[in-house]
Amino acid sequence: MAASASPVQAHGVTAGDQGYIQEISGVNLIPFVYLGAKHMVTGYDHILFLLGVIFFLYRVKHIGIYVSLFALGHSTTMLLGVYFNVGINSFIIDAIIGLSVVYKALDNLGAYQRWLGFQPNTKAATLIFGFFHGFGLSTKILEYDIAPDGLLPNLLAFNVGVEIGQLLALGAILIVMGFWRRSRSFMRHAYTANVAMMAAGFVLIGYQLTGFVVL
Amino acid sequence: MYNTDMPTRAELPTTRQLVRSTIIAGCSAVAILVGIVLPSEYGVDPTGIGEVLNLTEMGEIKVQLALEAEADAARDAVAATPVPLSSTPATPSNAAPSTAAPLAPPAPPAPPAPPSPERQSGLLPLLGTMVVSNAAAQEMRQDEVTFTLEPGEGVEIKMVMEEGAVASYAWVVSEGGQVNYDTHGDGGGQSISYEKGRGVASDEGQLTAAFTGNHGWFWRNRGDASVAVTLRTNGAYSSIVR
Repeated sequence: MAASASPVQAHGVTAGDQGYIQEISGVNLIPFVYLGAKHMVTGYDHILFLLGVIFFLYRVKHIGIYVSLFALGHSTTMLLGVYFNVGINSFIIDAIIGLSVVYKALDNLGAYQRWLGFQPNTKAATLIFGFFHGFGLSTKILEYDIAPDGLLPNLLAFNVGVEIGQLLALGAILIVMGFWRRSRSFMRHAYTANVAMMAAGFVLIGYQLTGFVVL
Repeated sequence: MYNTDMPTRAELPTTRQLVRSTIIAGCSAVAILVGIVLPSEYGVDPTGIGEVLNLTEMGEIKVQLALEAEADAARDAVAATPVPLSSTPATPSNAAPSTAAPLAPPAPPAPPAPPSPERQSGLLPLLGTMVVSNAAAQEMRQDEVTFTLEPGEGVEIKMVMEEGAVASYAWVVSEGGQVNYDTHGDGGGQSISYEKGRGVASDEGQLTAAFTGNHGWFWRNRGDASVAVTLRTNGAYSSIVR
């Protein structure tokens, strides 16, 4: 996620989602569900990681376990982060999210087995990176500057939205992957695809760290 | 790839399943787009679902904010000069028709805005501050302004102040009403937000100008009924502008 630009305008007008949130107060459940879902669906970093996680999962049961672990991870830190007002620099946390993409791509490529001689626990990794993705979400929400009035219900609604958005994104990924996996070339292209995913992760890391230094 | 279980052909979804899923996904996408995304983003709500879900308001606010941000940018580009309140027809900052009550004329005839001095640097700031506070001390004003805000309408009123100048203020919304506010300033390429609030019925305090420029308030009525806001100011500023 790029850090949201929030210039202090002559007028005090902030446009977009953030501007909307700063204009409202009280409990607004459905709007916050929408914003959570939108954040997930338009958040290419979350989606890349999700793609990496399910790349080699075929059984619905397995997909369910991993996606739930990821959801458990990011829900926990998102709620705790906002509740205790723990904001991490958004460039740093987004760079770590980029790192999660690189990690998962290497995992899919079998790099750890080749390099380390063993397979790090993939479920634990999904949960742990879920925690980091959650801190990314909480940092984003703190930037949004939600009114204290109705904060907790709105936050829970946002979290519900995040899960809905994740399922929507997952559904789209699974359909595309379904077609792709059926083709004979899938296993040949899978390697390249994970290398490309790793490259995208590196780009995210570099993009965010540069932003940290420059801005 | 070592950590991969190769699926058997039977474990993969059939083409038939996949095509069906694609059609379902496409139909869902259209429904989500028309029923949820368009109301939430643009206030476009052909089905009325957005209104029911309370999402259309979000889209309308976003569109309004976007238009205002655009207008701000255009205004900044034109490098607006402050106009004394007493001679300006009320013009709210957004496109909504103005229903502002006539403003109470300021006690003395509004003097023209002083030219903004260049930003000092080096050893000058200290000297500059002293000069400025002397000058500011000579210009004391007192104003009372009342205006009406329709639902969704916003207005901006600012005092022309020198750096370090202090003005007391108190504003109050007509009974039962609440407004959002942003106490802020801008000038000489700088801008600052002193304080923001949501759903507030009144506020008072002192405003110390962080730099030479226009310092004041942006109020917006997010309620369902029109409200009247009365502002009283008293202090070191050369004019109050809208």
